[in-house]
Amino acid sequence: MQLTAESPPNEPRRKRGLLANIAHHWADYVYILPAILVMVLVIGYPIVYTVWLSFHDTPIRTGDHIFNGVDNYREILSSPKFWKTTKNTFVWTIGSTGGAFILGFAAALVLHKQFIGRGVVRAILLIPYVISAVAAAYVWKWMLHSDYGLISGVLKDWGIIDQNLVLLDSKDRVLPTVIVVNIWKEFSFVMIMMIAGLQTVPEQLLRAARVDGAGVWQQFTHVTVPYLKNVILITTLLLFVANLNSFTLVYLMTGGGPANASQLWITDIYNIAFRSLGYGLASAYSVILFLVMLAAGWYYVRILTQGSKRGAS
Amino acid sequence: MTSSRDRFDFMSLSINRRAVLAAAAGFAGIAAFQTGAFARLLQDVSKTGVDPSKWNIETINALAGTITVDTAAELHALVPDTASGKVSLWINGPVESTPQIAKDFYEEFGTIFKTWYPNLELDRQNVDYNDLLDKLRTASAGGAAPDVAKMPILWGVEFAARGDLQEIILEDYGLSKELFWEGALKSVTWEGKYYGIPTNNETMAFIWNKQLFADAGLDPENPPATWADVVAYSKAIKEKTGAFGYGMVAKVNAGNTPFRYMPMVWAYGSSALDEAETAPTMKTTMINNEGGVAALQNMYDMYVTDRSVPTSALTNTQVENQDLFISGQVAMMIAHPSEYVTMQNKLAAAEGDEKALAQTVVDNMSYGLIPEGPVRRSVVFGGSNAHIFTDKAHGGAINAEGAKAVVAALTSPEWALKNNWTDSNPANLRGFETEWMKQRLTDIRFLEVTTSMLPYGVPFPVVPESTEIMNIIIPEMIQNALTETMSVQEAADDAAARITELISQA
Repeated sequence: MQLTAESPPNEPRRKRGLLANIAHHWADYVYILPAILVMVLVIGYPIVYTVWLSFHDTPIRTGDHIFNGVDNYREILSSPKFWKTTKNTFVWTIGSTGGAFILGFAAALVLHKQFIGRGVVRAILLIPYVISAVAAAYVWKWMLHSDYGLISGVLKDWGIIDQNLVLLDSKDRVLPTVIVVNIWKEFSFVMIMMIAGLQTVPEQLLRAARVDGAGVWQQFTHVTVPYLKNVILITTLLLFVANLNSFTLVYLMTGGGPANASQLWITDIYNIAFRSLGYGLASAYSVILFLVMLAAGWYYVRILTQGSKRGAS
Repeated sequence: MTSSRDRFDFMSLSINRRAVLAAAAGFAGIAAFQTGAFARLLQDVSKTGVDPSKWNIETINALAGTITVDTAAELHALVPDTASGKVSLWINGPVESTPQIAKDFYEEFGTIFKTWYPNLELDRQNVDYNDLLDKLRTASAGGAAPDVAKMPILWGVEFAARGDLQEIILEDYGLSKELFWEGALKSVTWEGKYYGIPTNNETMAFIWNKQLFADAGLDPENPPATWADVVAYSKAIKEKTGAFGYGMVAKVNAGNTPFRYMPMVWAYGSSALDEAETAPTMKTTMINNEGGVAALQNMYDMYVTDRSVPTSALTNTQVENQDLFISGQVAMMIAHPSEYVTMQNKLAAAEGDEKALAQTVVDNMSYGLIPEGPVRRSVVFGGSNAHIFTDKAHGGAINAEGAKAVVAALTSPEWALKNNWTDSNPANLRGFETEWMKQRLTDIRFLEVTTSMLPYGVPFPVVPESTEIMNIIIPEMIQNALTETMSVQEAADDAAARITELISQA
């Protein structure tokens, strides 16, 4: 005896509407309700309040919130300093992300192979990742100091240079310098992600490619990289978002100087909010940053999803 | 604000004992003051409250130890020992590197407060300097401010402007304006009313390495007399010894920068607003006048033309300067009297060849007056003030008696001195006459030099926008000039435009 009613054969299952779907899975939502409430409180409310504040002027002297329409956005977007900071931010983000990815992937490829001492090397290469950003900032600031930096001292002792390197105090060299420090800090993360990804690449595929006459480079580009596409996308997305938000290294090493040469969106927002007490202006700035990150995230997820669909079909 | 119970009612002969004692303490203090040494000093009251010609190292030494104070009695005259409840105080207290004596006094204050007011629980929070302002802003915005906060001199005005601080009547504390430096009282004034009481004030002095001066062929016993001399000395020292001359600090978002730059600006007859003028309006900027451009040109000459100051000046704070000074790489700098103790600590930590070098530096370290300019000699008037928050900022009723007791204790001659033993001076001028001042002058080398700079003190503009002007706009102006992003004139004009726009929005 049949206990359940089945759809007649050869008829497609009807899709439920959204509300019906939610109602059908009501128990699942109860389980995640506490997490959702926390997210609404800790993430949702600040976002809504920040957007609201971005349309208000917040004079220092009164602390009032005066609605001013899009004046804050107009002021930011028409400021030459904003465009200089935007250029710095994108150079910093793309440079750090690309550099950390290339170095991390290269390290992962090396560590994917067996060799004596591999474990020790892997542990050493993990050190930048586990050191706190604050400690790293102060140590690198000391090493790169224009007048008593360790790096300049050693290079002078070896006769490689005869004058101290001026990096953090040079408006032309400061941004590349802090990018290099950031790459050093982040490449270990990429290395870990790629090592995990490389371990999932089937050895049979690589063997088959070799049998077909593929060289090392062809195996890498036609087998390994395509197989790691999702891992690569996720890793670079995470790095991109992290670098767009990155505050500690730049703030502690240079403060955004000299002459705003290393000023980023996030450090500028901090200064406007907590030094100039321009909460409305800083909120508008934050909304712009948020929209950029949202767009980047959406684009990446779209590529990821399309890739998954192509793979499934 | 006094209640009807506290008013002296002649008609009904209803006398409130508390009010009489408070008045008596106040009058006694004022009377003692007026017949004391300070009264004679203040006969010719200058802009900073004391005639500089009468405030000198000899006077300071002569004043010390001439009065005895009974702090407990003075406090109980204002707030009886039956005061009860809980009172919260946020303060930037000792850290790891603070001299032990300062840490000991911090602990002693907590202990002795308990003996003065056994029923009053003092909830004292030691907040790091770099965190305190943001915490206070957040707390007061959220209705969670403490009852009392001791804030650095520049911070209180923004809270006063927002209505977060209670008005204070000096006489309610047995005090009068003659007991404080004029600059100190300016820093607690907003729209003609006081919103705090100064606890301590300090000014910095000019420090130099006599050995490096001698090596450069300069008179080791005398610092440069003018800022133009500083530029010339700096160049001579660099050329003849290889060491940097002046320890310039030009980092953005670092309080050290305006503290070392503004004395030169004022000395040349310029100001961020018009704070150094006789009757400042705080509505116009003078930063790009002839004097302002000349001061910035000095910085440019030292950094770009002569290269006689550390290359790292754009990212250095005074902490980095200390390392350069103790290693004999910088010959001159501006700092507090506590800098000598800092150098001694660094000497103690040094080893080998570095120890001998550090010993030479400490042995040759000397203090003098900050150089003067074409218009004046000036120095930043620093210090802290005690403030009481409003009920709204506190998020509930302030413990009025408790808060008054805490503020009175912090501003008493004894504890205004002891709480700031190593790096400042009592704001309450009676503190200079106590026996403890005598001990400080013996214990702290060069204290009399930095103290003698007090009459030249100019406070930063007492406007809420001061933080942005001093920590962002002025340092960015300096960096724009020194990195040649702009010319000196352009950098000064840019700063003037930004300050004008900022003030016009107020």
